[in-house]
Amino acid sequence: MPRWMPSYRSIPSALIVVLVGLPVFAALYAGIAAGDGATWDHILQNRLLPYTFTTLLTLLIAALIMLGLAVPVAWLISQYEFPGRVFFSWALILPLAMPGYVMAYAWADLMGVAGPLQTHIRSLTGLSARDYWFPNLFSTPGLAFVLASTLFPYVYITARAAFSMQSLATLEAARSLGARASDLFWRVALPVALPAILGGLCLALMEAAADYGAADFLGVQTLGVGIIRSWTSFGEPNTAARLALMLVCIAGVFLVAARWIQGGRGVQQTSARWLTPRRIQLPVAAAWMASLFCSFIVLICFVAPVSRLIWLATETSTSTSELLPLLRSTLLLGVFGTAMAFIAALVFTLAAKRRNALRIATRLMAAAGYAAPGAVLGLGALFILRETGQALSGTVAITLLVWIYVSRFTSAGVEPMQATLDRLPKNLDDAARSLGSRGILHFFRIDLPLLTPGALAAGLILFVEILKELPATLMLRPFGWDTLAVKAHAYATDERLAQATLPSLLIVLAGLLPVLLLSWRLSQTERS
Amino acid sequence: MTDIRPLIAESITRAFGEHTAVESASLNLAPGEITALIGQSGSGKTTFLRLLAGMERPDAGRVLSGTEVLASQDRHVPIEKRKIGLVFQDFALFPHLTVLENVMFGLRAIDKPERVRTAEHWIERLGLTGRRDAYPHHLSGGEQQRTAIARALAPRPVAILLDEPFSGLDPTMRDHVREVALSAVRDAGIPALLVTHDASEALVHADTIAVIENGRILQSGSPETLYRTPRTLDVARALGPVHSISASALPTEWHRAIGRDAETLWYRPEAIRLGSGTSFTVKGSKLAGPVTQLALSLSATETIYAACQPGSPLAVGDHVQANINPALFFDFASKSV
Repeated sequence: MPRWMPSYRSIPSALIVVLVGLPVFAALYAGIAAGDGATWDHILQNRLLPYTFTTLLTLLIAALIMLGLAVPVAWLISQYEFPGRVFFSWALILPLAMPGYVMAYAWADLMGVAGPLQTHIRSLTGLSARDYWFPNLFSTPGLAFVLASTLFPYVYITARAAFSMQSLATLEAARSLGARASDLFWRVALPVALPAILGGLCLALMEAAADYGAADFLGVQTLGVGIIRSWTSFGEPNTAARLALMLVCIAGVFLVAARWIQGGRGVQQTSARWLTPRRIQLPVAAAWMASLFCSFIVLICFVAPVSRLIWLATETSTSTSELLPLLRSTLLLGVFGTAMAFIAALVFTLAAKRRNALRIATRLMAAAGYAAPGAVLGLGALFILRETGQALSGTVAITLLVWIYVSRFTSAGVEPMQATLDRLPKNLDDAARSLGSRGILHFFRIDLPLLTPGALAAGLILFVEILKELPATLMLRPFGWDTLAVKAHAYATDERLAQATLPSLLIVLAGLLPVLLLSWRLSQTERS
Repeated sequence: MTDIRPLIAESITRAFGEHTAVESASLNLAPGEITALIGQSGSGKTTFLRLLAGMERPDAGRVLSGTEVLASQDRHVPIEKRKIGLVFQDFALFPHLTVLENVMFGLRAIDKPERVRTAEHWIERLGLTGRRDAYPHHLSGGEQQRTAIARALAPRPVAILLDEPFSGLDPTMRDHVREVALSAVRDAGIPALLVTHDASEALVHADTIAVIENGRILQSGSPETLYRTPRTLDVARALGPVHSISASALPTEWHRAIGRDAETLWYRPEAIRLGSGTSFTVKGSKLAGPVTQLALSLSATETIYAACQPGSPLAVGDHVQANINPALFFDFASKSV
C-alpha cells in the first residue's frame, strides 16, 4: 500500500479522535455561534466580565500562594539535609489526593465561627465573635487558598526535579566564582529552574481554572460556577456557552504555555559526572526551621483538613444504607468510564507510536479534552443532546456521561503509558518486526507486556479521576445515580457538612492511591 | 591585581569510607606555569583537584596559597572565598545567561561598565568576540569551553584548575581550542593545574608534569625529565608506550651501550632507530597513529619494536639494520617501588 494512503488500521484511532474531541468542539461552537445584539451586551456586562475577572483574580492569588509554598520547600529538599527531609519529600505530595471541594469543606469547618480555631481564640482571649477580625474563607482569596493548597504539589514536583537535576558542576562553578548560598539560589538555581517551575505552575493553574466544586461551595462566582448556573438557574444557554468559550481559552492558554515552556527551552544539563547532588547539612537552628516550615505546610494542606474530616465523620453516624447506593453508582460509573477511557488511551498511545499524522491529531484531541473543564464538556454534551432531540435520562444519560469521562480523561491515561514507551529502546519495535512479529500477535507479544506497568498506572489514575469528577457528573447523571462526589457536594452546599465528611474521606482515600504511586515513581527516578 | 603566589598541596589525604582517593599527595603549583596532573580514571586526580578547589575537605595535610592556609585540620576556606578559577569537562556554563553574562558572573564590587569592559576583554582574548550575546546552547563545544575559561579567568583568580577541559571536544577542533585556551591561561601568570589522562597533551603543553596513581603522586618534574628518566614503570607507562625486553636477548654491543645489568629492560619505541647497525628480520609492521610500528626478530622467542616513518617499503621477511638511543632504555628493577 502506498505510504500516503490511510491504512484501515487508522480507522479506530480516527474514530476515537473524533469521539474525544466532539464535546469540547460542540461547546466551543455553541459559544462562537451564540450570536450578538442586546443579549450579548447583557452577557458581556453582567456575566462574562465579572465571572472572568473573578476567575483571573483567583488564579493570580493562587499562583502567588503556590509559588511561595512550593519553591522554597523544593529548594530546601533538593539541596539541604535536615530532620525529616525524606518524609517531607513525599508527604508534600499528599495534598494532591484532596479534591479542591473536599479541601474547601474541611477548611470551612475548621475556620467557621463555631469551628475549633475561632472557638480557641475566643476561649483564650475572652472576646466574642464580633470583637475580632478573622479571615473569611467564603471569598476569592479563600478559594485561591483552598485551590493552591491542593494543587501546589504540581509546582513542588517540577521545581524539585529541576533543582535536583541541575548539574552540580554548574553550582560549583558558581561557588568558585564567589557566589554565596543566596546567590546560588537567586542567580543560578532559580533562573535555570524557572521554565520547569512555570510549566508546573501553568498545569496547576489549568486545574484550578477547571474547579467547580470549591468555588460553588464557597460562593465565589468563577466561570466554572457561571456555566452551570447559567444553564440550570438562569436558563441562558448562550451565556453558558460564552462563559465556556472563555474558560476553555484561559485553561488552553495555560496548557499551551506549559507545553511551550517545558518543551521548547529544555536546556537540560546532562552531566554524568557528579550528578548526584551532595546535600548540604544545615546548621542545627536552620535545620529545625526548615523542618518546621515543611511541617507547617503538610499540616495546613493535608493533616489538619483530613484529621478534621475524620473527627467529624466519627462524630456523625452515617447509615450504611445511605452509603451503599452511592458506592454502587460511583463504582459502576468509575469502572465503565475507566474501561472506555483506557481503551481510548491505549489506542492513542499505540497510534502515536505508528503514524505521524495521527500522532498530532491524537495529541491535539487529548489535550483539548484535558484542558476543557468538566463543566464545559458537560455543557457540550447537553448541546449535542439538544441537537439530537434526546432526553437526558437512563441509558442515554449514562452513555453521555461515560463519553464525557473519556473525553476529559483520555490524556491522563495516555501519559503514564507514553512515559513507559519513552523509556524503552527505540529499536525494540524494529527488532521484533525483523524477527517476524506483526499484527495482532505483535500487540499481544510486544506492546501489551511492555506497556503493562504504564497501563496499570493509567487504569488507577483514570478510575480515581473519574471518581473525583464533580461538575459533569452533576450535570449529566440520571436520577438515582448520585456518586460520592455529587452527594458530598449536595450535603455540603446544604450546610450539612457533617454528612458530607464520610463520602469526602472515601474520595481522599481513593485519591491517595495514585498519589502514593506517583511518589514512589518519583523516588525511583531520583534514585536511578 | 592580587599578588601572585604558588598554590601548594602539602601531603593531603582524602578517603571516602574504605577507599583512599588521595593519599599524602604533595604538589607545588608555580605561578605562570601549567602543571599537568596525569593519571588513569579512578587514580584520584579529580579528587585532588576538588581538594585544591575546596569542594572537598582534606582528612590530613594542608592546602596553601603562598603562605595563606586554605585548608588544614582546623581551617577550611570555603570554595566561594578561595578565588580559585575552575574549568570543568562539561563546561558547566549557566544555561540562562549569555556568554557576556556568564563571564561577568564572578565580577562583583565594581561598577557595571567596568564589569562589561573586563568581561569583553576576556571574551576577545579567547576569540569569542562575535558570540558575546549568544546563549550556551547556541555555542559549539569549543566556544563553550573557551567561555568557561574566560569566565574562570575574568575575576583574576589566584589560581586556575582545569579538569579534563579538552577531552569533551571534537578532535578536529581540540588543538585550536587548546592553543587559544592555554595561552590565555599561561598569560594570566597564575598557578594552573591541568588534569588530564592524555599524556601527549601534558607533554606538549605543560611546564611540569605530575603522575598520580592510586591517589599517590608518583613523580613530578619537567616533561623532559619524566619522559627520559621515569622513576617507576607506572610513570614511564603514563607518558607513552614502553616495551620490555630481556637483557640477555640484546646484542652485546647494545647491552654494553645501555650499561645496565638488570634482567628485564624497558624501552620506548623511539629508542630503536633504523640505520647502520645490527641486522634484523622484519616480523610485522603496522600503522600506529603517526608512526609505523615495526616488529623486529631479535631471537627465536624475543621481538623488539621500533618506530619508524610510515610509508617505508619494508615487508615481512625483509632485512633491516638498526641501532639504539641508550638514554631511552630504563631499568626499574634496581629502584622499583
